[in-house]
Amino acid sequence: MTAASSLVLWALVLAAFALFVWRLRRLIRAMLASAPAARFDNPLERLRGVARAVLHQRLLKLRYSGAMHAMIFSGFLVLLTAIAQSFGSAMFPGFSLRPFGGETWIAWLQDLFAVVLTLGVAMAAWQRYAIRPARFKGSNALDASIIYVLILAVVVNMLLESGFRIAAGDTGAGAWRPVSQGVADLLRAMGVDPLAAAGGRRAAYWAHVCAILAFLVYIPGSRHRHTFLAVFNVYFRGLAPKGQLPRAPALQATGAATSVDGFRQLTWKDVLDVATCTECGRCQDACPAYAAGLPLSPKTLVLDLRDAIIATPGEPTRDATLWACTTCRACMEACPVYIEHVPKIVALRRRLVERGEIEPMLQEALSNLQRSGNSMGKPARARARWTKDLPFKIKDARRDPVDVLWFVGDFASYDVRVHEETRKVATLLHAAAVDFGILYDDERNSGNDARRAGDEGLFELLALHNIETLSGCSFRRIMTTDPHSLNALSQEYATLGAHYAVIHYSALLLELVESGRLAPRSARGVVVTYHDPCYLGRYNGGYDAPRRLIERAGYRLREMARCRENSFCCGAGGGRIWMDDGASVERPSENRIKEALALGDARYFIVACPKDKVMYASAVQALGVEDRIKVRDLADLVEFEGDVRSPTPRTTQQAEDRV
Amino acid sequence: MNGDVLVYVETRDGAVKPSSLELLTAARQLADGAGGMVDALVAGGPLGAVEALSGVADRVLVATHPALEQYLPEAHAALLRSVVAERNPALALFAYSAAGLDLAADVAARTDRAVIDYCVKLSATGREIEATSLIYGGKLRAVSRARSPAVAVIVPGAYPEARPDPARRTTTVEIAAPPRLDALRTAFVVETRPAEGTVDLAGAAKILCVGRGIHDKDSVEVARQVADALGAEIAGSRPVIDNGWLAKERQVGKSGCRVKPKLYLAAGVSGAPEHLEGMSGAELIIAINTDARAPIFGVAHFGATCDLFDLLPALGERLGKGRAA
Amino acid sequence: MQIGVALRLVPDASGDLDIAENGQDIDREWVDLKLNEFDDQALEEALTLKENAGATVIAFAFDGVGADRLLQSALARGADRVIKLRNPFGDGLRARAAARLLAPTIRELGLDLVLTGVLGIDEIHGQLAPFLGATLDWPHVSVVSEIRCDVGALLARQETDGGFSTTLRVRLPAVIGVQTASRPIRYASGAKLRQFIGQKIALTDSNADCGDLAAELLRLERPRSDKGAIMWEGDADQVAEALHDLLVARGLAKETMR
Repeated sequence: MTAASSLVLWALVLAAFALFVWRLRRLIRAMLASAPAARFDNPLERLRGVARAVLHQRLLKLRYSGAMHAMIFSGFLVLLTAIAQSFGSAMFPGFSLRPFGGETWIAWLQDLFAVVLTLGVAMAAWQRYAIRPARFKGSNALDASIIYVLILAVVVNMLLESGFRIAAGDTGAGAWRPVSQGVADLLRAMGVDPLAAAGGRRAAYWAHVCAILAFLVYIPGSRHRHTFLAVFNVYFRGLAPKGQLPRAPALQATGAATSVDGFRQLTWKDVLDVATCTECGRCQDACPAYAAGLPLSPKTLVLDLRDAIIATPGEPTRDATLWACTTCRACMEACPVYIEHVPKIVALRRRLVERGEIEPMLQEALSNLQRSGNSMGKPARARARWTKDLPFKIKDARRDPVDVLWFVGDFASYDVRVHEETRKVATLLHAAAVDFGILYDDERNSGNDARRAGDEGLFELLALHNIETLSGCSFRRIMTTDPHSLNALSQEYATLGAHYAVIHYSALLLELVESGRLAPRSARGVVVTYHDPCYLGRYNGGYDAPRRLIERAGYRLREMARCRENSFCCGAGGGRIWMDDGASVERPSENRIKEALALGDARYFIVACPKDKVMYASAVQALGVEDRIKVRDLADLVEFEGDVRSPTPRTTQQAEDRV
Repeated sequence: MNGDVLVYVETRDGAVKPSSLELLTAARQLADGAGGMVDALVAGGPLGAVEALSGVADRVLVATHPALEQYLPEAHAALLRSVVAERNPALALFAYSAAGLDLAADVAARTDRAVIDYCVKLSATGREIEATSLIYGGKLRAVSRARSPAVAVIVPGAYPEARPDPARRTTTVEIAAPPRLDALRTAFVVETRPAEGTVDLAGAAKILCVGRGIHDKDSVEVARQVADALGAEIAGSRPVIDNGWLAKERQVGKSGCRVKPKLYLAAGVSGAPEHLEGMSGAELIIAINTDARAPIFGVAHFGATCDLFDLLPALGERLGKGRAA
Repeated sequence: MQIGVALRLVPDASGDLDIAENGQDIDREWVDLKLNEFDDQALEEALTLKENAGATVIAFAFDGVGADRLLQSALARGADRVIKLRNPFGDGLRARAAARLLAPTIRELGLDLVLTGVLGIDEIHGQLAPFLGATLDWPHVSVVSEIRCDVGALLARQETDGGFSTTLRVRLPAVIGVQTASRPIRYASGAKLRQFIGQKIALTDSNADCGDLAAELLRLERPRSDKGAIMWEGDADQVAEALHDLLVARGLAKETMR
């Protein structure tokens, strides 16, 4: 390498870096202009996450993709050494990797991983152009192709360079480079003499170097920013409990348009998120709104935000897109680089709510919540009306101390279709002699969905009222039948300073069954399937209690493919139950019932949430499959016997199989 | 104080409105019982109206003044005030209309009389007047009592229209215009006729009307498709129009159209008196409302309490397979 | 221009209504109070005028259960000021007395315009708008669906009947009974309400003489259902079947082609 060449290389490198930074200017500016985010805590846990990502934990959930990416990823890591070598030796006289094994095991690895990398790229191209997975719909294929070409250019020229080197006479270099040796042999067979090879080596070197610099200059405008951004995005990921949304920044009076330039409501992490997106589409695949035909694709939303921030400022997305989200978190669970889709959607929804730009049904629900503390607009005083016909009186937790405070929830209290279940639960608790009480008409909607619908102030009003009511009560723990309330009480209320021990009724029923205070049914092996509610499962890790109850009741559980953390949302969350779903092509609930039917022999569809019971029962009816599958609540798995006035637990021997 | 009953007559295009003729029936019953006369006040005194009242009222009181040519609340209130103060009738009757809402309470306040609104039944024993009114959107009835002299507002449709009695002699009395009419603070600007659109609800043979229970604009579309399959016009009650889910010309009710179709299918309509006024004359009324006690069932011939969101598609399916007659 | 809006709380009649034991009121055990629908529209119209013509909006309510929250909501929606009046009648306050109680305060404040709902669903002995107009001796117009400002006056559109409406020019000060606002009611977010929750609202006295000459309510009754509808039982499918059969029988629809 002559001094002149070295200078040329320096010039090229500096120019490339300058261009690289210049092409990142909008991104950098956006990050500087955006709101702060507290993501510098817990360094050890954050590093652990990075390690898991490096080990491809989420990526390998899709085997082909995961393997392919692992090959490319590892190839890149190893070839960093080649880059160090190529540039270092030319720019810094005396630099060499030889002392560290640059001509031995490092060289061998480089050769090997050059092949691995090429195979990985071939697999990627095959997937993109032959397999054509649906999740790529909406992704930029041209961008991908350019990257394939650039990577191949780097790798091929690297092999050519060492091939030429060997052919030019440096036979020792071939000792640890089997592939390059092969290239050299091929070249010689083609009649390339050592002199030509020396020239070829130089050419290949420069081609290699230019390919690398071209790559560097290209990636700020490509999704391959993720090659250097992903590690940071994963490190700075959200560590707050899943069920806790970030608090709204103090809302300023905004008369301006919805556009995100100004970025006041998005944090620097949001900006980093959208810049890191790899367009892989796993989020899109997991999204129930997308599956229902609604105008939301989490991937497209992120890309639209990215374009609004980095490319063309202006209105990033339609209101309908923002409202289609059920906040189920399936997207966030699937994303390999830990992008946080849901908080962005909620942040943008807040803006619409402040300006009153919400659809009439949602406006009615929110107004009802403001006025009467429930979304149906029924009188606050009538909340406990469902208790009227019970043969016993439920304790008033506001007056008397109780062991378990039952936070009933809106639907269980007001929806006549759910009353049967609510009374069943009350009767079971009474039969098991649980010391429980309710808040009667001082209970308000927990605010979970109001918050996700974007009305932060309404959430606070409801939450603070509930917290105040609870502060006057004496109880050991709170139980609820509603997973949304569970989430609010156990996760969200903590941000307002209120910490409670909260359990879902599935856990309480299991406790009672395991301690013999209640007897489960004896179902003799009937096959059932179970639907994990988003806010019980994915959000709060409550997968096992319902399954153990099902087991104890003698049913045989067949899992649907989309179960546990991959459960498919019923479509009601995020305030969607208060919105019109006329635009959906197929209701998520119907999609789900079809999935259950596809199991073949599942007689019952077990749910653990009162809204789910209503949604799925109507889906079963709409599909006309009542004779093939029935919807049952967890409470139906537990029995009691005796006369209506004083129910006593039924012993297991006497339990009939009522299937 | 005499036993006279004063009726405030409303006219349109020179003709007496049906609701005023209904008032005259009530007036006759009450006046006969108290041994008094029936006075019909026609502000502006259009000739056709005065003639139509011949044989119906005992006296037709006519006041003419430029300010009375169009209905102005302030002008008519001033006129009423002076007529009532001067002639002191035991009872003054108004129809439940925009004018009734403007004038009845005003007259009552200015002449120290009690007023009872939304009456469907009126009776008097001596100086005691008993009235049955609609309350809570027609869901319940309220029975009130007042001492005459008093004012009452009657819901259209509660009484039959009065017929001229050829044996009755009717005199016309000229009423002096009160001085206030020269110093009014209200002026007529323009009257807007119902939008001349492509819709003729009044002439439609079949109407599917949706009410507040339809919940939103997109569901109105579902109803519209069923209406099309049925060969019916789609219409809406006031809340539906107010929310902008249907055009104003599709409103049925007091502030909208009055219709008398062969078929009136009401979905999600509660049946407040203002709405009933617009459609109670329909030949066949079918009502769908989840509230079994909705007032609409009081005028409907058939009904059901199932959810309209389930019923409309089910009906649409059956109609789609057939064809509308 | 200073606009006053009189707001009233009425029982929520959208659900089941039962008559109380004494027969003179509805059973209020399971019934909430809410803002009278037409007063809601009146407030929205006042806020529209505020936006278009720069008026100041003052909301009035009478003391009672829920009054504070009602006025706080009015502030959240954009009212500039709220006034809570002492209510010597409690639950028995009716429009006629309310007008007499409101009038002195309205005069004191020198308001140009008072808006209120055209009627209250629990009021059967006269409406507030004409009573106010008569007490103040101001021109008044009811059943109004749109108000536009003119110099020293306003243009009010009154819905008469059969789809007809009349535009009247009314000199201020005046009282309007609003049926519909000229735009749909805007949502005021919880954050806006939160600003005003907990705000203490002082009680204003009204020195007014209220010889209430209203009629007396004797009792409430259920409407007689002697000519009630024939009700179809069953689920939606069964009802649709019965309905369709009836239509076919009456020649209003054709047979379903199988």
